Amino acid sequence: MLHIVDDEVDIQSAIKWMAKSRKMKCATYSSGNEFLEIFQIPQTDEPISVPKMESAINFDPGGDCVLMDVRMPGLSGIATYDIIANKKLHKRLPVIFITGHGELSMAVDAIKRGAFDFFEKPFDDNHLFDRIQAALSHSRKEGDLAVIYRRLDKLTMREREILNLILVGKMNKVIADKLGISMRTVEVHRANILEKMEVKSAIELAGLIK
Amino acid sequence: MENSEYINRRPFLKQHWVLPILLAILLLPILILLPWRTQKIEFEDHQEQLIEDTLWVEQGIRSLLVRDEDYLRSVGEDIVANKLPAEQIKNRIATLLQNHPEFHRLVWLDAADRIVYSTSPFSFNEFSPASQQSIAQARSNVLPQYSQPFGFGADKSLVLMDYHLPLFNDQGYRGSIVASYGLSAILEKIVPWWFAKDNEVSIVDIDDQVVALRADGGRGHNVFTHSKSLDLPGVNLMLKTNSIKNSPRLLSNLLVTTVLVLGTGLSWSLWALWRDILRRQAAETALRSQIAFRKAMENSLVTGLRVRSMDGRLLYVNSAFCEMVGYTEKQLVGQKIPFSFWTLEAYETISVRTPVKGTVNPISGFETMYQHASGRRVPVLVYESALLDENGIQTGWMGSILDISERKRTEQVLRLHEDKLQRSARLSTMGELASVMAHELNQPLTAISTYASAILNMKHSDRLEQDDLEQVLKQMQKQALRAGQIIRSVHDFVVKREPTRTQMQFREIFKNVLPLIEMQAKTYLVNLKTDIADPLPDLMVDPISLEQVILNLTRNALQAMQALTQHNREIRIVASQLAGMVKVDIIDNGIGIPAEVAERLFSPFFSTKSEGMGMGLNICRTIIEFHGGQLTHHPNPTGGTIFTFTIPYVAVAEQESVLAG
Repeated sequence: MLHIVDDEVDIQSAIKWMAKSRKMKCATYSSGNEFLEIFQIPQTDEPISVPKMESAINFDPGGDCVLMDVRMPGLSGIATYDIIANKKLHKRLPVIFITGHGELSMAVDAIKRGAFDFFEKPFDDNHLFDRIQAALSHSRKEGDLAVIYRRLDKLTMREREILNLILVGKMNKVIADKLGISMRTVEVHRANILEKMEVKSAIELAGLIK
Repeated sequence: MENSEYINRRPFLKQHWVLPILLAILLLPILILLPWRTQKIEFEDHQEQLIEDTLWVEQGIRSLLVRDEDYLRSVGEDIVANKLPAEQIKNRIATLLQNHPEFHRLVWLDAADRIVYSTSPFSFNEFSPASQQSIAQARSNVLPQYSQPFGFGADKSLVLMDYHLPLFNDQGYRGSIVASYGLSAILEKIVPWWFAKDNEVSIVDIDDQVVALRADGGRGHNVFTHSKSLDLPGVNLMLKTNSIKNSPRLLSNLLVTTVLVLGTGLSWSLWALWRDILRRQAAETALRSQIAFRKAMENSLVTGLRVRSMDGRLLYVNSAFCEMVGYTEKQLVGQKIPFSFWTLEAYETISVRTPVKGTVNPISGFETMYQHASGRRVPVLVYESALLDENGIQTGWMGSILDISERKRTEQVLRLHEDKLQRSARLSTMGELASVMAHELNQPLTAISTYASAILNMKHSDRLEQDDLEQVLKQMQKQALRAGQIIRSVHDFVVKREPTRTQMQFREIFKNVLPLIEMQAKTYLVNLKTDIADPLPDLMVDPISLEQVILNLTRNALQAMQALTQHNREIRIVASQLAGMVKVDIIDNGIGIPAEVAERLFSPFFSTKSEGMGMGLNICRTIIEFHGGQLTHHPNPTGGTIFTFTIPYVAVAEQESVLAG
């Protein structure tokens, strides 16, 4: 999903048409504040936990990209980005800045702080949309990782231990001996792990965690 | 400094005082000596006179006695010659007695001491012992001799002195003639009346016994006395004179008294004069130092001072004034109106403001222009006040004149500086404008480009629908027009044309910007309320610059409310009619303007925004003032700020004339 954050209605409209021509889903926001509110990102400094974030924010599984005007009334594009970056969301919500005249240095600084890219007005639209595509795939991958981490989070300490041993190809028997527990217990753990990681077999599990 | 030197130089005595004082000192002993000396001289004169008179008296006595001796001798010679009859001799003796009152008695003794003849009954024994002794001595010495005086008669009051003339011839002693002198009679005869009146004249014997005395004027005072021996053979008698005059008194002399009085008077007047002069000198010194001090004060004043008489004549100027107008004191004093330092253009105001005669004005300063002798103009500030004498009667005008050219120059420099600042501010505004223009132009251009890209993308993927194409092209056209408008408005501003003023309703202008305001309000999530009175009088305005002002003010208002929660945000735009003016209020309920910001709000380059140039409000004010109105702001009673601008509307008559034209 492409999120267009710009106070200029004309620009919003034009980019919407452009997204349509590239068959891309998009949403528009007229200010940084509006964007943060809709995404339920609090404008506070404290970081939010990943599980909370995952549950609260409606990420697009196909990936997200924020196209943001630097100069906006109220919260500026840069300030909005800084809030996103402080919450460690800038990888799931890669930000591409659109800068006007004399705002280059601000945008460059933002890049150094982890923003995805910036384009100076007027820009080559297709090149911009290529970068948007790249950002979307980055976001998607980041989203996938987040899913895995979310599943790993569910494991207990003992389960993680056993998971590590499974991943290096140890048999149940070996694991039981090594940890000084019964075979039966290891099997129960293994079943729990596969269930929590939402996979069917150890092979599939290995494929998920590379 | 001059003053103190003068005080130090004051001597006790001045040179010209030495001589009179020296003379006075010399005069004093002379004045003291003079009466003493005069007294002495007078005393000596008296004494000498007395001596002289005494000598004269003595001489008289002696010559009398000598003459009498001659008479007696001649008688004696006749007796000795014995040629004349005795009767004749007796007659002669009698005649002698008669003619000479000094004789008391004449006796002719023969050799046997018998009395041949006596002028009065007499016996030899009646001779006093001293007389008898003298007879004997005379006879033995063969020389006539006087005897000691003796008292005769019952009370011995008649003092007589006998003269024994022994008569000798060849046969020896032939007898004697004895003449008895009355001493008092001698004095009576010899001493003149004027002498006797002033002196006690006496004859004393060897024992200092007074034997004869004449004191017509009374007893002597023993001050002026003189004694002279009568030097008679056989007897020691002294003639004594004793003046009845007292010794001359020291100050008896009128002349001396006068001289002394005059001398004292002179000394006193001299002293008084000296004291007076000293006093005068002290006063003079004090006065002089006072004058010097005043003069120094006047000269060191930077304020020009001048005094004019009631008829407008310059009476006094101080050095600061002379310097100010470049004329010397000599040239200025005595001048009459118009003064040489008056300028032509200021002439009228000066002569009006300079009352030649009139009542006492309170001090009031006025600014005018003087002309320096060199032709340079000197702006001055003049304070005039009445000059009153000790009786409170106005005698002239006292003026203090301040040279304010420096102040004027500073003002000028300041004004130039301000102009420069304004110009540079304008240039900065240009810079800002260029920046704004670039930004503003970017929007439509970017939009056009993006629309075009979208259409191209659709065309390439053969998904282009006619509806979409038309919609997008319309959008592109709109953006291109917007870009054009931006360029035009900037051009209008930059070329600094005389803004084209047209007569129109505020509502019309507002209609043009309302969509923009609405959009902005929506963006800021602000509730917009408008209240434009209908009808309002027509305004004569440049709509574009007025739009600029409205947009600028609303944007500021919207930005001021960012910190507020959403449901509080409200902006109200109210237009109403005021006396001669249309008044527009832009009311927000935002954070308000802190006092320290309010102060500098309109100053160039002041901004509370990080990207702001601080020119927005400045330009707004300029535009409003250009239209003859005012831009003000004041706190909103319910929180936030109210910005108000007024623009005078066109009068009805004017409107009609415009319509007719």
